[in-house]
Amino acid sequence: MPPQILRLVLLTLGIVGSFLMARAVLTPSSFRQYGWYRGDALEEIASRTPVYAGTKSCDECHSDILQKQAKDAHKTLSCEGCHGVSREHGDNPDILPVKLTGSHCIRCHEANPSRPAWFKQIIVKDHYSGKCTECHLPHQPTQVP
Amino acid sequence: MKNQFTRRSVLARLGGAVAGVLSLPAARAAKAAVQKVFVSSGAPRGYDPSKHKWLMCVDVNKCIGCGLCAEACKKENNVPEGPYFRTWIERYIIPKPKPASGETRGEAIVDCPNGGMHGFPEAAIPKDQIEHSFFVPKLCNLCEHSPCVQVCPVGATFDAPDGAVLIDPKYCIGCGFCIQACPYGCRFLSPVTKTAEKCSLCYHRITRGLKPACVEVCPTQARIFGDLKNMAPDDPIQKFYEQNRVQVLKPHLGTNPRVLYAGLDKEVR
Repeated sequence: MPPQILRLVLLTLGIVGSFLMARAVLTPSSFRQYGWYRGDALEEIASRTPVYAGTKSCDECHSDILQKQAKDAHKTLSCEGCHGVSREHGDNPDILPVKLTGSHCIRCHEANPSRPAWFKQIIVKDHYSGKCTECHLPHQPTQVP
Repeated sequence: MKNQFTRRSVLARLGGAVAGVLSLPAARAAKAAVQKVFVSSGAPRGYDPSKHKWLMCVDVNKCIGCGLCAEACKKENNVPEGPYFRTWIERYIIPKPKPASGETRGEAIVDCPNGGMHGFPEAAIPKDQIEHSFFVPKLCNLCEHSPCVQVCPVGATFDAPDGAVLIDPKYCIGCGFCIQACPYGCRFLSPVTKTAEKCSLCYHRITRGLKPACVEVCPTQARIFGDLKNMAPDDPIQKFYEQNRVQVLKPHLGTNPRVLYAGLDKEVR
């Protein structure tokens, strides 16, 4: 074999070999576990702590309220939709969740032509000027306190 | 100089180099093992991505535009302040056609002030001129053939086996190709991390058996979340299929989304 060809072959082998070696070292072990991405990323993304605790965890202590709520128009509402993020309250009942006032009722029930017609809406200024809770129980909105 | 390059010293160095190269994978394995112990401490146990196939159904007839979903998403996912949203609500106002214009309807007015997070201001036109008006919640469409995944040059965004389209923040280089590729405008470049971000279907919640934050807080169940591989006979998803005619956004693109809409208007893209 002519020496220049031998040199070329050795050089090619060297380049290809060092590429393969670098790839083996630099590619994370979980790459290609599921596809052309890092399989460990799934676990890393999943490892974040949830912020909203979820209605199921409210049910552990407040099942009485949830049972009442389930019989009335607000049955589809989640606790944290109105009371705010309550994870801390779940861990330590002394930390109270944010209580929301009438402005929160209006958020959904203020009349708006874009809202579906089946949804109960009021024109607030024509409806009543006092507090919503004077006439409506938030957990059982069809009942009067 | 002669002493430096004896046969013995060259061989010894070569041997050292080979040993070094061989020990690298071992060191890497050790590092991975250590990382696994620390990083995965908060990860949910016993979640197998191959045993689920998530999907989301949105009933436009039920959306009241309260914006709780967009707000909850921001809180849950620590989305940066400002015009950055992983999910948002659009308002469509379709005016009546001008008299004798020969048109069936006027040109749609679409707005989305602050993602719909804090409700919507008065409509731009008076109520008696509105033919239809409705809200449309938007989020990652969970494409089966995701354009965003196809364009990522570094394998940072991917279709997980359970159907979620996720971003590996450690691999994302922030090139922004995926943001341009997404036909639904569901991605943005985070000003904080300088990486692409999008709806992850609240992956940290669904892997723990919780619902995504937007579904959790939706007061009218306009959003229904489900698992195609674990469907109960009375599953809300099943009911949704039976009661509605469903549609996806931009079906002509062949992205085959797994976010199904009921009650869509032709103006919605």
